[in-house]
Amino acid sequence: MRRLKTIVLSAAIGAAMLAGTVSASAEEVLRLRLNGDINTLDPISTTNFTIRNAAYLMYDTLFALDSNYEVQPQMAEGYTLSDDGRVYTITLRDGLMFHDGSPVTGADVVASIERWGKVDGLGKILFSKLQSIEAPDDKTVVLTMNEPWGQVIPALGKISSNVPVIMPASLAANDPSEAVADPIGSGPYKLLPDEWVPGSIAVFEKFGDYVPRDEPADMAAGGKVAHFDRVELVYIPDTATAIDALIAGEIDWIEEVPADMLAFFEGADSAKPIAARQSGNSMQLVVNHLNPPFDDPKIRQALQWAVEQKPFLQAAYGNATDRYLECAAVFFCDTPYATDANTERVLNRDVDKAKALLEEAGYDGTPVVLMHVTDIPAHDAYYSVLKPMLEEAGFVVDAQPSDWATVATRRASKEPVADGGWNLFFTGWGFVDQSNPMTNVYVAGDCDNGWFGWACSEELQELRKQFAEAKDPEVKKALAEKMQILTHDLVSYVPLGQSFPSQGIATNLEGFIESPVPFFWEAQRTQ
Amino acid sequence: MLGYVLGRLLAAIPIFILVAIFIFSLVHLTPGDPAVLLAGDNANPQQVEKIRERLHLDEPLIVQFGIWAGNALQFDLGESIYSNKPVTQLIAQRIQPTFVLAAVTLFLTVAIAVPLGVIAAWRANGWIDRGIMAFAVLGFSVPVFVIAYLLVYFFAVSLRWFPVQGYKPLSNGLLTTLHSVTLPSIALALVFAALIARVTRAAMLEALSENFTRTARAKGLGTFRILVVHALKCAGIPVITVIGIGFATLVGGVVVTESVFNIPGIGRLTVDAITRRDYPVVQGVILFFSALLILINLLIDLSYALFDPRVKG
Repeated sequence: MRRLKTIVLSAAIGAAMLAGTVSASAEEVLRLRLNGDINTLDPISTTNFTIRNAAYLMYDTLFALDSNYEVQPQMAEGYTLSDDGRVYTITLRDGLMFHDGSPVTGADVVASIERWGKVDGLGKILFSKLQSIEAPDDKTVVLTMNEPWGQVIPALGKISSNVPVIMPASLAANDPSEAVADPIGSGPYKLLPDEWVPGSIAVFEKFGDYVPRDEPADMAAGGKVAHFDRVELVYIPDTATAIDALIAGEIDWIEEVPADMLAFFEGADSAKPIAARQSGNSMQLVVNHLNPPFDDPKIRQALQWAVEQKPFLQAAYGNATDRYLECAAVFFCDTPYATDANTERVLNRDVDKAKALLEEAGYDGTPVVLMHVTDIPAHDAYYSVLKPMLEEAGFVVDAQPSDWATVATRRASKEPVADGGWNLFFTGWGFVDQSNPMTNVYVAGDCDNGWFGWACSEELQELRKQFAEAKDPEVKKALAEKMQILTHDLVSYVPLGQSFPSQGIATNLEGFIESPVPFFWEAQRTQ
Repeated sequence: MLGYVLGRLLAAIPIFILVAIFIFSLVHLTPGDPAVLLAGDNANPQQVEKIRERLHLDEPLIVQFGIWAGNALQFDLGESIYSNKPVTQLIAQRIQPTFVLAAVTLFLTVAIAVPLGVIAAWRANGWIDRGIMAFAVLGFSVPVFVIAYLLVYFFAVSLRWFPVQGYKPLSNGLLTTLHSVTLPSIALALVFAALIARVTRAAMLEALSENFTRTARAKGLGTFRILVVHALKCAGIPVITVIGIGFATLVGGVVVTESVFNIPGIGRLTVDAITRRDYPVVQGVILFFSALLILINLLIDLSYALFDPRVKG
C-alpha cells in the first residue's frame, strides 16, 4: 500500500511540474494565424493572398491605397507629371533602407518594377505602354509613357496581388516565376530566416532602422509604426485548434473563422469574432464558354434563371445573416461602381423561364460536368445546393468529386469534356480585385487569353481600354455600368452572393487597421 | 547473429526498389499539377508553363523517375517543389516532434496497458476484468480526434494546464518539451493502450494456464512474483510484437494528432505534401517510412531473443 501511495504521489508531483511549465507569454510578441502557410516570401512569384499578406510585413511599396481608395505616396516622397501627361518623375523619400543595411536606390526600384511588370496583369499593360523606365540618380525614378495613361500611379499603388513591392536590384534580377530564396525587404518588420520553418512558422522582428511616414496610418498608406518586437505567423491547419489557441491566449488573431464555429467564442472573454466588412469575398459559378452546352448564350442565360443566391448563402453561413449579402453587382455591392443594372436574371430564380430557354436553344440533354470540390467545406455545401437546382430546371448534371488541387489543374483545360474538360466550377474572389474594373477577371472579355471560362467579347475589351484612359469619375461609372450589363448578358460567371468573413481577435488588442488586406503595424496590446 | 542481420538488411533492397517504383507511379498518376498550385489563383498559363519547365515536370515520366532514383541512390531526395528546401532537411526538421510524440506515447501506453492487461488476466471474468475490457473497447471505438478535442477543452482551454497546440523543441529543456506533448501523447496513448491491454490479457491468460504457473503456485510463490516474473515474461513475445508494430503505425499514424495539436511533425509534412502535390517530399517521406518499418521489424525480431532463449540459436 505504501508503494502505491508513493507512486500516486510521484505521479501527482510530476503532473504538477509539467502543468507548471506553462511558458510565460512575452507581451511584445504578436502571433497571427493566416489562412495558409508561408512557403515563400516573394509576392511576385505567386498571387497567393497569404503570401501577399505576410509580404506586407517585410516589404514596402512606392505608393499605397488609403481608406478612400485614393493612391498616396509611401516610399515615394511624391511625383511630378509632365505637361504632356507622359513623363512621371518619382522622388524617393529619405532614410529608406533594406534589411541588409544597404540604402534603397532608384536602381532597386527600377529592377523591382520591371520584375513585377513581367507577371502582374496591370503591370503588363503598363509595360506595353511604357517607353522607358530609368533611375537618373539614387533618389529618382522616371517613367516615360508612349502616350498619356491614367493608370500608372494606381498600378504602382495596387494593394492586391501581385503587389509591386521593392526589393534589392540583385534579387529583382531573378526570374519572376522562381521565388527569391533569401528575401530582403525594406518594410517595418524583418524576416528571421533561421526561424522560418515552412509548414509551421515564419518569424519577423521589428526593423529598427525603418523610418515611418509622418502621416497617421490610413489603410496601406501613412506611417507604418511597428509596436511589437516580434511577429510570428503560426500555421495551424485545424481551425478548431486555432480558435482554442486564440481563446487560451496562445495566439492573437485568426484571419477567418467559419460561420459554424462562431459559437466557440460564446462565454470567452479573452477573444471575440469581428465581422471583417472590408474583407468581403464573393462566390461565383464559373462557366466554360468553350464546351457544349454552355457555348450557346441562351443556355448560359437559362443557367442564370435556374439558380438563386440565398440557398447558397444559407448553406455556407447558416443563421449568421449579418455575414452575407445577396448581391449581383459585378464590382461588389456598396462600392463606387456598384449598380443593379441587368441583374434581374441573376437575382431571381424562374424555373419555367429556364426551361423555355433550354427548349428554344434545343438543349439535347448534354450532361453538365460540375467539378465538385470536396476538401473545402463552403464549396462542398454549394455543390449540394446547385445540383438539385440545375436538375429541377432541366439540366442533366454530371457531378465529378475531387480535391481542390485537381480542380485547380483541370480548370485550365480547354479540351472537350470527353478529353478532361469541364463545364462549371465554384471559386471565390476578394473585394479588392473584384471591385476594380481593371482587375476584375470577369469583365475582361479576353477570349483565349482570359481567365478560366474564356468568355469572349471585343466590346468588353474596348470598354476596359476606355476605362483605363478615362479620368472623369462619372464617365468611369457609366463605363463600369456598361461592363456589368454586357457581362451579365454574356454570362462570364453567375454571382452567388457576397460574404463578410469573421476574424477572431484577442480582446486585449487594439489598433487593427480596417482594410481588405490585413495590416499589422499599428496593432497594440492594451494590457 | 551478424550474418542474420546482414541477410535481413540485404533482403530489404528489393523491397526498397519496389516501394520507390510504386510510390513514384502512384504520386505521378494522381491528377493535379503542382505548378498550378504554386503559381496561385490568377496566374496566366505562361506563368504556369514556366514553373513546369523549371521543375522538369514537362519531361517524360521515365526521365523524371531516372533523375529522382539516381539522386536518391546518393541520399539526395531532391528539393521540395513547394518550399524549395531539400527534402532531407525537411524530414530532419520534422523528425524530432514526431519521435518525441511517439516515444512519450509509447511510454504512456506501456505504463497503462501492460499492468491493466496483467490485472485483467489475473482477475479474469470478474468485474475488474470486465471494467478494463470495457475501457479497451471504448478506447478502440472513440476516434482519436474526439479524445483530442475533449482533452484540449478540459485541460487547455478550461483549466489552462497545458498548451492547446504547438511543439516546444528539446532545446527549450526536457520538461518544456514534455509539457507541450502531454495532451497529444495521452490522446494517442488511450487508443493504443486499448489494443495492447487486450493482447497482454490474452497472452497472460495463456501463460497462467500453463503447468509452470501451477507449479509456481504450488511451491508457494506470491501472486506478484508469479504474474510479473514468470507469466509476463512468457507472454512477452506477442506483446512486444504488437508494441513494435504499433510503434511503426504510430509514427505513420500521428497525422490526425499532429494536425489537431498543430505539431510540425512528419505526419503533417506528408499530408501537406500530398495536398500540394509536392512529389519529391511525398516520395522522400514514404521511402523514409519504409526504411523505418524495415528497421523496426528487424529490432522486434532481435528482441525475441530476450524473451525466448530458444530464438538465440
